[in-house]
Amino acid sequence: MIYLLLIFEFFKIGLFSFGGGYATIPFLYHISQQYNWYSLNELTQMIAVASITPGPVGINAATYAGLKTAGITGSLAATISEMIPSLILVIIVSKLLKKFSDNFYVKSAIETLKPISCALLTSVAIGLLSPQISDIKAMLILAILLLLSWKSKKDPIFYMLIAGVMGVAVKLITQ
Amino acid sequence: MSLLKLFLVYVKIGAILLGGGYVILPIMTSEFVDKRKLLTTEEMTDYFALAQSLPGIIAANMSMFIGYKLRGKSGAVIAMLGIIFVPFWAIVLLGTILGSLVSNNYVQAVLWGVGIAVIALIMLTIRELWQNSQRNRFFYFIFLTSLLTLLFFKLSPVAVIFIYTAVGILFKYIQKRRMDK
Repeated sequence: MIYLLLIFEFFKIGLFSFGGGYATIPFLYHISQQYNWYSLNELTQMIAVASITPGPVGINAATYAGLKTAGITGSLAATISEMIPSLILVIIVSKLLKKFSDNFYVKSAIETLKPISCALLTSVAIGLLSPQISDIKAMLILAILLLLSWKSKKDPIFYMLIAGVMGVAVKLITQ
Repeated sequence: MSLLKLFLVYVKIGAILLGGGYVILPIMTSEFVDKRKLLTTEEMTDYFALAQSLPGIIAANMSMFIGYKLRGKSGAVIAMLGIIFVPFWAIVLLGTILGSLVSNNYVQAVLWGVGIAVIALIMLTIRELWQNSQRNRFFYFIFLTSLLTLLFFKLSPVAVIFIYTAVGILFKYIQKRRMDK
C-alpha cells in the first residue's frame, strides 16, 4: 500500500514540478505535512544530501525520500515514478517538436508557471524560516550565506560546506 | 550508437553531474556533439529549452530527448535508467550511513548548519527565477494571488498549479482576443 502511495505522490511531482531541481521541494514539503513519512528536519537533510551527491537534485531527493519511507524498494518506486511523466511527455513532444513550442496554450501555460513556481518556493521558504526566525545564530548564518552570494549564486556544495563548518563552530563556541 | 553504449555514456554523465542545472548543457554537449558528433550544438540548445519547458527534472528530460533522438523509445528509457544509476546507489549508501550517524553531536551540528544552507539555496533559487522572468503586471498578479492562496488556504501545490494555470491561460486568451480586434 505504501508503495502505491509513493508511486502516486512522486508521479504527481514528476508531472507538476517546473523549473529545475529545487522546484520539487514544495511538493516534498507538502508530503511531509500530509503523511508521516519524514519530518521537516529530515526534509532539509534530504535536500542537503541530494545536493552534495552526484546526479540531478530533484531525482536524488526522490530517491532519498523513498528510502526514508520504505527502504530501497521505496527509493526505486519514488525515483522511477517521478520520471515516468517526463518519459511520456518527451516521446510525445519529440514527435510534434515545433508545433509544441509554438502552441498558444502551451506558451501561456509556461509563462504562468514561472510566477506560480516562485510562489510555491516562497511559501516553502516561509515555512522553513518561521520556526528558525527567533534563533539569532541561525539567522546570522543565513545572512552570511546570502551576503556571500550577493553578486551571483554559487555551487550548492559551496553553501553546504560553509554552513556545515559554521554549524560545528557554533556548537564549539556555545558548549 | 548501441543501447549498451548509450547506457554507459549516461551512467558516466550521471556520475559527474554535480551541483545542479548549470552543468547539464556543457557536459552533454561535450559528450554528444564534440566527442561523438551525433548531434549539433543547435539541436542541443533546442532540447535544453524544451527540457526546461516540460515538467519534471530538467537533466532527466534532456537525457530522454537525446536518447529518443538517437534510439527511439528504448533509447529514451535507457537514457533514463543510465542517468539515475550512480546517483541512486550513492543516495542509498549515504542515506543508510547517515541514519546511523545522526545521533552523533557533531554530525547534528553539521546538519543544523546545512539545514540553513538549504533555506539560503531556496531563497537564491527564488531570486534566480525572479530575475529570469518578465515581471509585468501579469507576473505580479499570479505570483501574489497564488502565494496568498498557499499561505491562507493550505492547498496542495498541484491544486494551486491547476487553478492558476487555468487563470493564466484565460487571462492570456482574453488579452489575445482584445489585441486581435
